[in-house]
Amino acid sequence: MTERIARAAASERIAAATGEVMALPTARPTRLSWRRARRLTFAAFVAPAVIVLVVVTILPLLYLVATSFTPLDLTNPASLRWAGLMNYRQLAGDDRFWNSVWVQARLSFWTVSLQLVIGFGVALLLNGRLRLLELVRSAFVVPMVLPPVVVALIWKILFTPDISILDWALGLLHLPQPAWLADPRLALWAVIIADVWEWFPFVMLMLLAALQMLPEEPLEAARLDGASAWQAFRYVTLPLLRPAIVVATLFRLIDSVKAFPHIFIMTGGGPGTATEVTNYYAYLEGFSYTYVGYSSAIIVVMLVATLGMSLAVLRLSSREVEVE
Amino acid sequence: MNRTHRAPTAVVTIGLTLLVLCPVLFMVQMSLRTGLEAFRMPPTFPFTPTLQNFAALFEGKFVRSLVNSVVTSTSTTALALFLGVPAAYAFSRARVRATGLVSLWTLATRMAPPIAFGIPFFLLYKDLGLIDTRLGLVVIYLTFNLSLVIWMMRAFFDGLPRSLEEAVYIDGAGVVRAFLRIALPLSAPGLATTAIFTFLLSWNDFFYSLLLTRSAAVTAPVAIVNFMNYESWEWGKVAAAATVIMLPVVALSIVVRKYLVRGLTAGAVRG
Repeated sequence: MTERIARAAASERIAAATGEVMALPTARPTRLSWRRARRLTFAAFVAPAVIVLVVVTILPLLYLVATSFTPLDLTNPASLRWAGLMNYRQLAGDDRFWNSVWVQARLSFWTVSLQLVIGFGVALLLNGRLRLLELVRSAFVVPMVLPPVVVALIWKILFTPDISILDWALGLLHLPQPAWLADPRLALWAVIIADVWEWFPFVMLMLLAALQMLPEEPLEAARLDGASAWQAFRYVTLPLLRPAIVVATLFRLIDSVKAFPHIFIMTGGGPGTATEVTNYYAYLEGFSYTYVGYSSAIIVVMLVATLGMSLAVLRLSSREVEVE
Repeated sequence: MNRTHRAPTAVVTIGLTLLVLCPVLFMVQMSLRTGLEAFRMPPTFPFTPTLQNFAALFEGKFVRSLVNSVVTSTSTTALALFLGVPAAYAFSRARVRATGLVSLWTLATRMAPPIAFGIPFFLLYKDLGLIDTRLGLVVIYLTFNLSLVIWMMRAFFDGLPRSLEEAVYIDGAGVVRAFLRIALPLSAPGLATTAIFTFLLSWNDFFYSLLLTRSAAVTAPVAIVNFMNYESWEWGKVAAAATVIMLPVVALSIVVRKYLVRGLTAGAVRG
């Protein structure tokens, strides 16, 4: 018995090595059933997780798309009826929606680019064999793992005049001490600053990891060929770092569209609609004004836009990043 | 880097680190001061720290929300591991074609803002009576936890040599035995890392708790916001509560910091 299984296992390995899926012609019934049992067990391992994933992710998203075609109002259950593209047509002419898209675009643009620039700068600065490095890495991890609520509260305090050390420091330097969160021109910047502080370490850690894994040879070759430090950086280091930069950009971009706790706690979308990003506008439509159908339509449009944007980023990077 | 550059770099590095940590430290010191003293600018040093704010916190309802946070985060972690780890093992060992699909799925669910799941779950929970229950939160947290567990654990299993399991097969054992006796114990560090990750993500959740709980099942991050409104901005207490929910996160994340980037980019970067 043992011997037979051993043989089965051995030929299984051979089959695995040669990439054969079906049994070899010499297969005996026992080996076949052994393999079938193995396959069944694996299926049983996978099935519960896949079923739950489908139920908690795919079905809700389909339901979301379905509600986006209804004028569903939470206060009126009878409003769950087909209304075709009504919500989407209304959306096209909704100034508040387009304002939210513009706010979102500025928020995404500034947070992602500042995080890239600062994160990259700090990564280059720390890219030595510093003995402090381990410690510094642990410290830089803190902002991005903090509960988003805590980040929002910290910056709410820092941007509130009279109780903030930031306000005091600005006064000390004879700089203006604005009421950041009450000023329509500055409120979005307050949110941007909080987000940059929270997430530039993410870019930094990714690029630092990539920098430390760079092969030595190309840089050395460039140096031997008489390249200046800048040329070596521009034409050797930067291209080698591109995949890491693309992944960092992609993830920051995706997350910037999800901004919620910061805006909820720091500004409430205000003053006026100065910080009302699309995500937040959808939340208000759905849960303050109870128009869940309309809110769903906003989210569907947002999802499609995010997906398109991510694909564009990946396309631009011309397949350097495998989705795997 | 030569010797002359080393000292200035170290100074800049330490300065930068302090600058980054400054906002957090400012809040923590605020939580240790009495009401009015917290707002005196510039802050006076040294000062006598007081735990008054924390004591006030633990007399109120905040404790219950902390318990809710612990219970929901722990349960959803256990559930996600229970469902996800065997699947990850199968994906690693059976050369399933669908592994690319799982990565894509992980990435796609990460793209969706929480409200995309929030709306359908809200409507469903309203009918099922699951609004303001811990169970409701545990289930919705699976939307981000389960694919993360599968993705992270598959990378850990891929790193384990197969030869040990094959030795068990030769002894006549089946897949289940090989998985339970060999693969699982050997991947204990991976399991711990993954568990910490899912725990942190659930613990940090704000949106789902805001949307799906009212009072009985409210978790700590949302409870802070509530007492911010009811007790008219008691900053000392707010700072204390924020410090309390932040401490376990900081401690655990230092444990998993090596895997942090990998976990946060689940779906896109090879482990």
